[in-house]
Amino acid sequence: MNYQQANISDNNFEKCTKCTVCTVYCPVTAVNPDYPGPKQAGPDGERYRLKKPLFYNEALKYCLNCKRCEVACPSNVKIGDIIQAARIKYSAGRPSLRDTMLASTDLMGSMATLAAPLVNGVLGLKPVKKIMDATLKIDCHRTFPKYAGEKFVTWYNRHARESQLALPHKVTYFHGCYVNYNNPQLGRDLLTVMNAVGYGVMLLEKERCCGVAKIANRLVKEATRDAKINLASITTAVDTHKAPVIATSSTCTFTMRDEYPHLLHLDNARVRSSIMLATKFIYELLEKGDIKLVFKPDFRMKVAYHTPCHMEKLGWTFYSTSILRMIPGVELTLLDSRCCGIAGTYGFKKENYAYSQAIGEPLFEQIAEVNPDLVATDCETCRWQIEMSTPYRVENPVTVLAMALDVDATRKANGL
Amino acid sequence: MNKLPKHYDVIIIGGGATGAGTARDCALRGLKVLLIERFDFTAGATGRNHGLLHSGARYAVTDPESATECIKENMILRNIARHCVEDTGGLFITLPEDDLAYQKLFIEKCREAGISAEAIDPELARRIEPAVNPELIGAVKVPDGAVDPFRLTTANIIDARRHGADVITYHEVMRFIKSGNRIEGLVMRDVHTGQETEAYGSVVVNAAGIWGHLVAKKAGVDINMFPAKGSLLIFGHRVNNTVINRCRKPANADILVPGDTISLIGTTSDRVSFDEIDNMEVTPEEVDILIREGEKLSPRLATTRILRAYAGVRPLVASDDDPSGRSISRGIVCLDHAKRDGLEGFITITGGKLMTYRLMAEWATDMVCAKLGMDKAKCVTATTPLPGSEKPVEENAPESSHPSRQHIIELPTEQLAAEGRHGTLTEEIRWQNPGDDALVCECEQVSVGEVEFAIDKLNVHNLINLRRRTRLGMGTCQGQLCACRAAGLLDKADHCAERSLSDLCSFVSERWKGMYPVAWGDTVSEIQFTQWIYSGVAGLDEFLRDRDTEHLLH
Amino acid sequence: MKFDTVIIGGGLSGLTAGIELARAGRKTAIVSAGQSALHFSSGSMELLGYDAQGAPVEHPLEAVEALPDNHPYKLLGRERMEQLLARVEPLFSATGVKVSGTHERNHWRLTPVGEVKPAWLTIEDYLTLDTPDALPWKHVAVVNIEGFLDFFPRFLARGIERRHTTCHFASVTCDAIRHQRESTTEMRATNIARVVHGESVDQLAAALNAVVPEAEAILMPAVTGFDDFRASRRLRSLVKRPLYFMTTMGTSVPGVRSQIMMQKHFRQLGGAYMLGDTVVKGGYNADGTRLLNVETANFGSDRLEADHFIFAAGSFFSHGLNSTPTGVFEPVLGLDVEAPADRNLWFQKDIFKPQPYMRFGLATDRAMHAKKGGKVIDNIHVVGASLPGADALREGSGAGIALLTALDAADKILNRNINS
Repeated sequence: MNYQQANISDNNFEKCTKCTVCTVYCPVTAVNPDYPGPKQAGPDGERYRLKKPLFYNEALKYCLNCKRCEVACPSNVKIGDIIQAARIKYSAGRPSLRDTMLASTDLMGSMATLAAPLVNGVLGLKPVKKIMDATLKIDCHRTFPKYAGEKFVTWYNRHARESQLALPHKVTYFHGCYVNYNNPQLGRDLLTVMNAVGYGVMLLEKERCCGVAKIANRLVKEATRDAKINLASITTAVDTHKAPVIATSSTCTFTMRDEYPHLLHLDNARVRSSIMLATKFIYELLEKGDIKLVFKPDFRMKVAYHTPCHMEKLGWTFYSTSILRMIPGVELTLLDSRCCGIAGTYGFKKENYAYSQAIGEPLFEQIAEVNPDLVATDCETCRWQIEMSTPYRVENPVTVLAMALDVDATRKANGL
Repeated sequence: MNKLPKHYDVIIIGGGATGAGTARDCALRGLKVLLIERFDFTAGATGRNHGLLHSGARYAVTDPESATECIKENMILRNIARHCVEDTGGLFITLPEDDLAYQKLFIEKCREAGISAEAIDPELARRIEPAVNPELIGAVKVPDGAVDPFRLTTANIIDARRHGADVITYHEVMRFIKSGNRIEGLVMRDVHTGQETEAYGSVVVNAAGIWGHLVAKKAGVDINMFPAKGSLLIFGHRVNNTVINRCRKPANADILVPGDTISLIGTTSDRVSFDEIDNMEVTPEEVDILIREGEKLSPRLATTRILRAYAGVRPLVASDDDPSGRSISRGIVCLDHAKRDGLEGFITITGGKLMTYRLMAEWATDMVCAKLGMDKAKCVTATTPLPGSEKPVEENAPESSHPSRQHIIELPTEQLAAEGRHGTLTEEIRWQNPGDDALVCECEQVSVGEVEFAIDKLNVHNLINLRRRTRLGMGTCQGQLCACRAAGLLDKADHCAERSLSDLCSFVSERWKGMYPVAWGDTVSEIQFTQWIYSGVAGLDEFLRDRDTEHLLH
Repeated sequence: MKFDTVIIGGGLSGLTAGIELARAGRKTAIVSAGQSALHFSSGSMELLGYDAQGAPVEHPLEAVEALPDNHPYKLLGRERMEQLLARVEPLFSATGVKVSGTHERNHWRLTPVGEVKPAWLTIEDYLTLDTPDALPWKHVAVVNIEGFLDFFPRFLARGIERRHTTCHFASVTCDAIRHQRESTTEMRATNIARVVHGESVDQLAAALNAVVPEAEAILMPAVTGFDDFRASRRLRSLVKRPLYFMTTMGTSVPGVRSQIMMQKHFRQLGGAYMLGDTVVKGGYNADGTRLLNVETANFGSDRLEADHFIFAAGSFFSHGLNSTPTGVFEPVLGLDVEAPADRNLWFQKDIFKPQPYMRFGLATDRAMHAKKGGKVIDNIHVVGASLPGADALREGSGAGIALLTALDAADKILNRNINS
């Protein structure tokens, strides 16, 4: 007798014991009664959708895809995946122009960067915001992240490509749309740190948007096309350099590791463990004793770390906070892990704005209580949300590391 | 001793589909009707089968008469009981270990019985039903479907009452009141209080299924019945959306039916003794057979959580000319005990199947009318829709009636689910007040409004009644979340906390009865959780301290 | 990654051990596959509530002697239990969770269906009774939240009125709860607690002050204070009569709050709490007598190395144990279990009778070290509900076993390191 040895139905939805723990930690249910909650929207609703697709409920669009339900679930039910898969499978109609625009971060970025001062100016104008609010339903309280004048990739090709080749070790960097179009400084910071410990930073042959925004807006075909290009480039990079592909965005990392196989059904098994956050890569090198970091003796900073939802799901807060704790001048407070409310493009939509801010409120309050010099976080959209909703400056832990690093001393310590 | 004031034209014993159908038919023909049920409606074989809307194909080769009856009734039920029926279609698959030659005979016999049967390419079968065993070498498409016996019976009861029938549950027939060779009435006993009541009527119809054997004995006549136990398993969700059968001579565990939110595999078939029929238990050996054979229909069953196991008892009736019981009558048995045994005013309707309940009711009612000299009263049940099925269930649901969510386009799931269960009767469910749409049972989407509707309109006295009328507690958690909530709501109507809590204990016990035969993996997690909540946190174990728990299951 | 100790399981037992070790300066990680069974706490913790015959026990320690020989309490011994018990209350205090009660003598709690159960420690704002047969008032108001389905005033009243106190009923609400009620599914105790703060507390207090003037005390469902005691303490201070919280069904506010506060405390002590991660396998030394590291789903090849491991993954509900039709097994490290393979021996047909499966657990030596393939692995310490020999539900011993065995394991780890 060899039956019933393992129940492995899709997304583990049958393992749900109806304990309702997921609903305790859903950021949306606390603010929006129209959202049926992760248990109803996920495993409970799935049984009915299997009976008849008619049971699909459009209110599933209120799900942030934060995966906090999955992190909380004692039975390993992939609640967030069930909900997102249902949206992809059953939701009627094409995504709207607004959703398509918000989701096309790379296309919008490319166009905007060309005319950054103009775009930044226009997107910041009150009348333009009102028009976007009224016609596109992009909430007028939102400020679009500023577009940089020079793309990270352009800067890299002009100023950094050559010098990377001279370093003894190599690692590949998935910079993502945000670093490329909005915050090239973070990319430069990563190069500062990696170069100081002897690592040349290579870029992928071809990099597309990770696809998180497209998946959230049901542009699955487009997301899949981009994902295939990314996976092919990542595979080549891993094979060529025998080193991982690192990123500075927890969301891009999470998407390429987990959403590719779960929602886009792309097999990434060969490279999945090679896709990681820069802080994990650095931590592991430090622990193995392969590299050393030397910090500026006079560096002092009170830092509060915010755990982004996808970082919580990755489970890697330990790496980023451990690195921040290694900096002698850093006084670190770990903020309670909770959603900031933005969830990428979600918070930009007019219908979600109020919920988005209500979800983030406890976080904003805690930041004010701690009153840090700087909030560190691994996600760019959390950064926007916190900067839009509080007076505090927000940076990636890699930027903090670059700020604190004594580059010359570090180079010396690593024999360069 | 109490006495019911009315003199009835007909007293029907048994609240299964046949009894309920007979009560409806008699009431529609203008008779004064009383229906008596020992426990709850659908508590016997009616509520313990596959819920298969047979096309008749299963019987085409071995029992052409049943096959013909089935396909006729199948077409009738699709029309009169729309909200109880789901047109899933069915497949008869041939596996490599089966003889493909049987398929030809099968199709030929189906066509002779009037059942459309079309051989299709295995590849097409895999597309129609992705859950089917991919190794199949042949497939035949037939008009099988799913039928919900609980809804079907309830709808018959509702219509009988609308036409003047009196219905009494939780009363057991103790003895018959005779005058000479004529039955004039009976004495029934309230199973809770023990109070006895007399009821008088011109004709008594014994529609008590396998218990009809014992009822007949009380009337002094012998019917040679044999209880045949059939065990089934319920899987946690819909594995298949099309009925899957094996294309071979009927055998164990060769039908997999999608029923509402779950799938069912069955059955086994074993003779049991009359001592066992009130307390059927599924043995580990039966569970093993069901899974082993079931996996051949759909390999997915091997990895799907099993919610529970249950067993029903078919009444097999020995032919009157062979008291040994070796020769079993197939099909419907309708006995006029005046002709057979010289006992006037007593009819037994038995044999048959859920599928032919309406036809059985028609035959029994015809016989009742003949006895009453009302030959002109014509049967209309084949064309009159049941309550809830007056109009087709709309695929395009209307806008939500809940004021706060009209901006969400479609009907909320709890209203859709209720509509699936009650058809047009859903209009009687309240959704307007705050909290009416709050879910009591989250797995099966049963709202406060639906529970209150069931309590008001559907003869609900306890949680088990409520489960049979609404699916409350039938989902993944088997009542872990909803049972206490529902007990609170029933208590609001009943105002006896003591009784409500005792009822809650019965419900938890009854759920466990179906779970422990299949308790491994997630089911053990579930039951440990349930025990902690109900005994540890709530303290039901303290409530039961020093109480006899044997009675809980009835 | 290197740690001094890695704890598998982040519920009451795992957190207790983690806090002890982190406080002693040990680098400690807790790997928790989702949230714990603490989320369903009644608000009270039990040490030993019932004897072998199922009769309530007044003095828990005196009843230890009669327990079966392989019971975790017997393995600890009464003397050791007393040493450890003295440390429990301070442990909760340090996390900010205030409890009342003593191990010398059980007190009583009133359950949601109006029964009484013996308890050892109860969260500060819950109703406790010194004797099982009386409440200290003549009239009480049982006040529900409007539309809340997981609290049963009339069931509770049944228990109160049997104790000769008159019950009055009322219900209250506030704007935030009304808004919450628009949801068909999310009106649960913990969700209400998430919206009741600030202005809502004032509204609730005003409503509570207006109900049933003749009632001397108010009993209401525990639906305030999601992640700290601020809201519930403020509510109690604003309400002019004694106000007590009562256990609700479903996810429990005091349980969730205790989990969050203990977790936070552990992190503040420098512990790494890895939520939503699962151990997938272990790496052993050559002769299989020592666990060297564990691999988890999230950390992959970056294995968690440690000198000591604590197995606190719980029983079946928490997936510390799992089963198939042919046997019981420990799913993450494949450790030996104490349970028969024949599933006919796992259950009784009457659900309210003692269930054999409740006593299943990991096979250990008498010092509660795990075994694998019959060999003792002396750096895996088994604690809490993963231990065999106890029917915690029937005995009323779940929290006691979790806390005491966790403290004991932490001590063993600390002493051993000191000795060497």
